[in-house]
Parts: sequence; structure tokens; C-alpha cells
Amino acid sequence: MEEEDQQKVADLVKELVIRLVSPESHPPIPNSSDLQSSLRYAIRLLSSRLTPSVAPDAAAIAESTKRRLATEGKSSQALTFADLYTKFASKTGPGSVNNKWAVLYLLKIISEDRKNVNSQLDSSVLLPNLDFNDAELGNESRVLGVRGNKDKGWSNGVLLVSKDPENLREIAFREFVNLVKEENEVSEEALVRDVLYACQGIDGNYVKFDTNADGYVLSELIKVPRATRIMVRKLCELGWLFRKVKGYISESMDGFPSEDVGTIGQAFCAALQDELSDYYKLLAVLEAQAMNPIPLVSETASSGNYLSMRRLSVWFAEPMVKMRLMAVLVDKCRVLRGGAMAGAIHMHAQHGDPLVHEFMGRLLRRVCSPLFEMVRSWVLEGELEDVFAEFFIVGQPVKAESLWREGYMLHAGMLPSFISQSLAQRILRTGKSINFLRVCCEDRGWADAATEAAAAAGTTTRRWGLGYGETDALELLVDGAAKRVDKHLLNVIYNQYKFKEHCLAIKRYLLLGQGDFVQYLMDIVGPELSEPANTISSFQLAGLLETAIRSSNAQYDDRDILDRLKVKMMPHETGDRGWDVFSLEYDARVPLDTVFTESVMTKYLRIFNFLWKLRRVEHALIGAWKTMKPNCITSRSFMKLQNAVKLQLLSTLRRCQVLWDEMNHFVSNFQYYIMFEVLEVSWSNFLNEMEVAKDLDDLLAAHEKYLHSIVEKSLLGERSQTLYNSLFALFDLILKFRSHADRLSEGINELQARTMESSVPSRDKSKTKKRVNDKSSEPGSWISDGRKALTQRAGEFLRNMGQDLDAVAKEYSSLLEDFISKLPMQQHVDLKFLLFRLDFTEFYSQLRPSK
Amino acid sequence: MDADAAKTARDSLDLAFQMSNILETGLDRHTLSILIALCDLGLNPEALAAVVKELRRELVPQDASSPSSVQ
Repeated sequence: MEEEDQQKVADLVKELVIRLVSPESHPPIPNSSDLQSSLRYAIRLLSSRLTPSVAPDAAAIAESTKRRLATEGKSSQALTFADLYTKFASKTGPGSVNNKWAVLYLLKIISEDRKNVNSQLDSSVLLPNLDFNDAELGNESRVLGVRGNKDKGWSNGVLLVSKDPENLREIAFREFVNLVKEENEVSEEALVRDVLYACQGIDGNYVKFDTNADGYVLSELIKVPRATRIMVRKLCELGWLFRKVKGYISESMDGFPSEDVGTIGQAFCAALQDELSDYYKLLAVLEAQAMNPIPLVSETASSGNYLSMRRLSVWFAEPMVKMRLMAVLVDKCRVLRGGAMAGAIHMHAQHGDPLVHEFMGRLLRRVCSPLFEMVRSWVLEGELEDVFAEFFIVGQPVKAESLWREGYMLHAGMLPSFISQSLAQRILRTGKSINFLRVCCEDRGWADAATEAAAAAGTTTRRWGLGYGETDALELLVDGAAKRVDKHLLNVIYNQYKFKEHCLAIKRYLLLGQGDFVQYLMDIVGPELSEPANTISSFQLAGLLETAIRSSNAQYDDRDILDRLKVKMMPHETGDRGWDVFSLEYDARVPLDTVFTESVMTKYLRIFNFLWKLRRVEHALIGAWKTMKPNCITSRSFMKLQNAVKLQLLSTLRRCQVLWDEMNHFVSNFQYYIMFEVLEVSWSNFLNEMEVAKDLDDLLAAHEKYLHSIVEKSLLGERSQTLYNSLFALFDLILKFRSHADRLSEGINELQARTMESSVPSRDKSKTKKRVNDKSSEPGSWISDGRKALTQRAGEFLRNMGQDLDAVAKEYSSLLEDFISKLPMQQHVDLKFLLFRLDFTEFYSQLRPSK
Repeated sequence: MDADAAKTARDSLDLAFQMSNILETGLDRHTLSILIALCDLGLNPEALAAVVKELRRELVPQDASSPSSVQ
């Protein structure tokens, strides 16, 4: 085999020499001396110690050839060459050229040589000592010892001369290496290794953490150039950042059960940990690379390890950016927790750099997953799984009645900025509705609604299904759940708890909408209430209330509603009459006490008191009318009176009736206004709003509005305080008038009785006596007086009454004028109608300017 | 050597020859095939290149009358 090869080589060399020496046009003379000497020369060259000065890398050679062509301006040829090379390289298998790189290298050298020959013939000058006829070297067998070169003195000479340019470079390089070695006490490989260690937070041999400088620095004692020192410092920034991040993670994780890091903090740490594991992978790769030498074109040139400081700085560029971000986040989040932390990270994610953006997005998805899970379970199950107080909804233990209003709050600090305020409100309300249903309504149907919502929102509702950046999906889920849960809640409130019926009952009883009931009640409790407040028993009043219910149409109302109606005695002071402290109360139980809260009931109470007073005044006026109806006081019975007295009596009566009429006009119009312009209109609006209410908040707002409009229009508001006062002064005056009118009619009755008695003494004696006995306590009784005295007394009484009535009428007209003049100052548009109604004939407005 | 191998060999030689032309080595097809064969046998390409160069240079002064051999 070996010999066969050798023979083949010899034959081929001979052939080659023949081909080269003699052009085809001149057929060579075999065995001519020229040919022989050429052959010997060739064999000597081939057997020389020339070894390839490059690493056997075909691709590299092809690349360099291509570059040379390109730099010579033959770009098209360069392209063709590259193309040919790829085809050439792709030929494998039997029959292909095995030693491709050698062929390429050969072509390259020949091509270069030819250029040199053409330009300058210095290569020929470099080989002057080669003698063709050197017999000693003419041994053909030398060719065969190509690999096992013998060390001969001459071959050194040949080698040196032939490779001179390479040697020059090599020498220069060696010198440079020596220079570098002299300057650096530490080799670059060692420094690279140390930097890699430092980047894992470990002190190396030379690079150590310096607490004073707060960073990894190269020890001062080691002699290295300034540039290297700076480079090391720069690269080790990564180590410093890593230390910081790592420190935060271990701090949070170590103190986990005792300190409240929170689930979001933990998620953040886990996400950071993941990023760090990527970083570890990179470092491991780099460390492995640090051991490998750089594959250089020239084998002999001693290349450094693959990783130099500069390469390292390129490798570190991306991790450095990430690590800086993480360090910034760690700094930011050290004091933050929960939603605030997520918000802070979100603020950093608003970055134009896609790398940063993507990195932060990845981080946020991890960080926010516990938060979104909380939202999910809150919205769908009403569970507040928030052990570490990280959620933006906080619950507090409250009584059932205030659960809706105060049970759950938004915690603004924990609300991350990627969840908008309105969305947060909706989230809050949905969970609140569920909890309200569960706690106050003892309802289980919400679970179906929630399941339905979950199904509607699709796949995003599975556990951990929601992520950062899917705000739309979140909104969809929340909206779906909110819609269904709220609908269910309203259904429960309307149907199971009969909200509407209760509202109506309140309107009928507390707002005195049920006329016959109010009339009966007023009749029954009236005498009782005239007593001083401290003598009245509320039990007795309760009994009277029951009687009033039974005797009015209210008895057909739902028993449950009637049971809730109670008498309430307000705290009273000495001198208060029963009228001042009596009121009705409606007991709204859970869950309706969410709507009818304490403060709402207080408002109802105020309205009730006002209306009750109005009714009382009206009742009083009607009572007065009953006694002084013209047909009750027949003028015929006064026939026997003196003319003057009779006239006086008639004029007093008349004055009284005119005044009554004026008062009645005012009261009945006011009553009308309150009943129809205020109560019914507000109620109708409220009903409409109740229809369109989508959730409990809407319902509450509607009810609030209803109540507010009643209060405002009934002059009970803040702004109409003075008007209200003058109105009450009017009411009081009317009540005073009532007592005067009673006294008048009583006096007239007495007078009538006296005159009847004197004319028909025998008749009705017992009855009169009885009355006399009743009145016996009254001073100045007329019984014993004679007819003249009677007339005198009557005259005096009527004069007094007339004066009193005059005073009342005067006061009344001034008060009424005051009231009417104040009325237009109210902003409320409905009050204009009241004014219009009171002053329909423009009687008062004509009266005023004249004054 | 089957037909496939022969074809591959011929293709390879063609490609090498084309590359050689682009690089203006001045080698003819036959010479190139000999050189490839020698390379495949493990001879140092640098040495082979030196042989080609030296013998050609020798040719120039000897056969000054026939420049075709150089070209």
C-alpha cells in the first residue's frame, strides 16, 4: 500500500514535471538532461520541510480568496468563485476530491505566485543557493519521506528563506506577546475567569468585591495597564447588579413566612429567579468557551483563549441591560407590596425598546398572575383571597346593614395603573354584590349566575388563565359577571324581598299617602296627643294605631308590611305635647336596611313629621269648620238678643269665617302641592328609575334621588330653612286660630244655650245643668246673671274675641305675605307652581305692591 | 470506480478548473488533475505550488522563444 502510493506519487510528479517543463507544442524528449534535472529539483522541493503554514480549513481559504478577488475589484468573479466553491465543497463521496482544502490552497498560492512573478521576480532572488545539480539531494526516495523530515542543516536555510514573510510577522507577534506579558502580571485568561466569577457574585483570585468602592475591582497590587483595569471594572458592574438582585431575592425568600412578602412579591422573586437562571446558563456557556482557544487561520500564531475581555464585553451587553432593569425594579419594589408593586413594574414596562418591553412583559405576566387570580375569584366567587393585604379591594368586618356601603373599599394605593378606575369600581361592585347576596340575602343563586358568566367569558376564566396585558379579556369577564350577578341581585331584591312593595308601604304610611288611614289615625290619637308628652304611653298609641289600621282600608294590606309599621316616640323635653313627639316608623329588615339605612329613615321621619303637622293643621281647620258651619249657628236663636250684640256677633262670626277661609285656601293648596306635585311626581320618577336600574348602586342612587327630591320640594332642605320656619309659624298660627275659633263657637253655644234656657227654662234642664256643671270651673259663668248681664257679658266676650281674631288675622296676613315673598327666591322650579297656585287670582301680589 | 464516482470526479475537476481560471493560475486541465491527485495523496500543497512556480520560472529564461507556455 505504502509502496504503491509512493510509486504513484513518483509517476505523478514525473508527469507533472513533463507537463510543466515542456509546452504541448514541443513534445518533450524523455530522459533528456533538462527534464531529469527539473525532475530532481521538483522532488527535492517536494521532500523539503515545507509544511502547510495554515490550518486545514477549506472554508477559511475560500473566504480569503474571495475577499482578495473582491478587493481587487473583481466582485463578479468573487461571486462566481464563491458559487463554485460551494458546489465544489458539496461534492462528497467516492470520486470526489478528498483533500479539498489542499487543492484550494494550492490554487491560491499558485495564483498569488503568478502575480508576484509578473510584478517582481524577487522570489527568484530569494532562492539563489538552490543548485539544480546538487547531487546529494537528488535522491528520489526523499520525496517519500515528506512527513518524516530529517533535520538537515540545509533544510533550515530553505525553510527560513522561503517563509520569510511569515517569520517576520511571527517574530513581531512574539515580541508583542512578550511586551504584553511584561506589562501584565496576570494573563488575560485569568482575568476573564475572574470576571466570570465576579459576575456570579464570587470573589476571584484577582477581582474581589470592595465594600469601599462598592463594586468588584481588580486588586491594586496587581500590575496591569489602566485600560484593563477600567475594562474589568466595567464588566464587573454586572456582578454588582447581580449581587443586588440576588440579595433581594434571598432576602425576600428567607424571610417569607415571618415577614409578609405577599404573593405578588413572591411571584416577582420567582420571575427574577427565572431570569437569573437564563443568566446562569449564559455564564456557564461563557465559562466553557473561556477554556477553548480561538481558531485562527494561522496555526503557529499562539492565539489567546476564545474569550478575551473585549469579547466578554460584547457578550455581556444584553445581560447587562436586563440586569440593570432588574436592579432598578428591585430598588423600586423594595418598599412596595401587592398591587402597588405590580403598578410600579408596569410603569417601567412603558418603554420603547422592544427588548426592554418584551422583558418587562414577561416579568409582569408572572408578577400579575396572583393579582389576576384574586380578581377572578373575587368577581366569580366573591372570595377575598388576600392574606397579605395586596389586593386593591379591602374588606372590613361590618354589620350586615352596612355591608354594601362600607364592607368593601377600593384601596387606591394597591390599584395598579393598568386597571382603570372604572374597571376597578366594577370589579369591586361585582364581588360586593356576591357577598351581599350571600350574607344579607342568604341566597345561593348567585353561583349559577357566576358560572354562567364564567362560561360566557370563555377559556380565560380558568385558573391562572388571565394574564398581564389581557385587560380586554379581564374587562369582558368582569362585565359579564357584573351583568349577571347584578341582575340576579336585583331579582332577589325585587321578588324575594319585595323592595317595591316596601317602598310603596313607606309612601302610604310614612308619607301619609293612605288618606283614610291617616284620617282615622288623626281622629283617634288626636285627643291623646294633646296631653303632655311624658304622660303618653306608646303602648296605648300602638293600640290606637292598630285600631286605625283595622278601621281603614289598610287592613287589606299585607300582614308582613303592617307588622313593620310601628309607633315611635321621639325623645321629648318638658312642655312638649304629644303632637311634637309622635311619629310612625317602618322597620326595614335585612337586606332592605341597606337601602333604608338609619340616615334614610331619619329623613323619612323628618318628612313624616312635616306631613303629620300639615295633616294636623288641615284636620284642625276641618274641626273648626265643623263647629262654625253657618247652619250650626243659626241666627234665629239670637232673635232675642239686643240688636247691637247681634250685629257684633254676626260680624265676629263673619270675620272668623273669612279668616278660616283664607287659611283653608292656603292649607289645602299646600296640601295639594305636597301630595301631587311632590310625592306623586317623585314616586313616579322613582318607579321609572327603578325599572332601568342595572345594579344595586343604581337602585340606591334612585332611592336617594327620590328622597332628596321630596325633601327639597317639601321645603325641608337646607336652603329653604327660613321658608320652612315661616311655614311653621303659619301652622302654629292656624292652630292658635283653631283654639280661638273653638272658644268662639263654645261661647256662642253657651250664649245660645243661655238664651234658650231663659226663654224655655223647663226644657232640657238636665242637659243644661250637666253642661253647667262641666263649666262650673270657668270663671264668670253666666248662669247666675240676669238677661242684661248676659247681654253685657256676650258683648264683652264678642269684643274680646273680635280683638283676638283681628290680631290673629293681622299676624296671619303678615306671615303669609312673608312666606309668599320668600317663595320665589327658592330655586326649585316646582315651587313656582306652588306660588302660582296660592296666588292664583293674584290677590296677594296685588296686595303687596300697594303696601 | 463506478459511473457515479467518475461523474463526481469529473465535476469536481471541472469546478476546480473553473476556479483555477478565475484565479488565473495558468494551469491547464491535465496539470490541474495531476496536482489534485498529488494533493489527495497527501503531499504538501505549498511544496507543490513551489514546484509549479520554480519549474515555470525555469521555463521562462529557457524558452523565451515560446511564451505560450507561460500563459
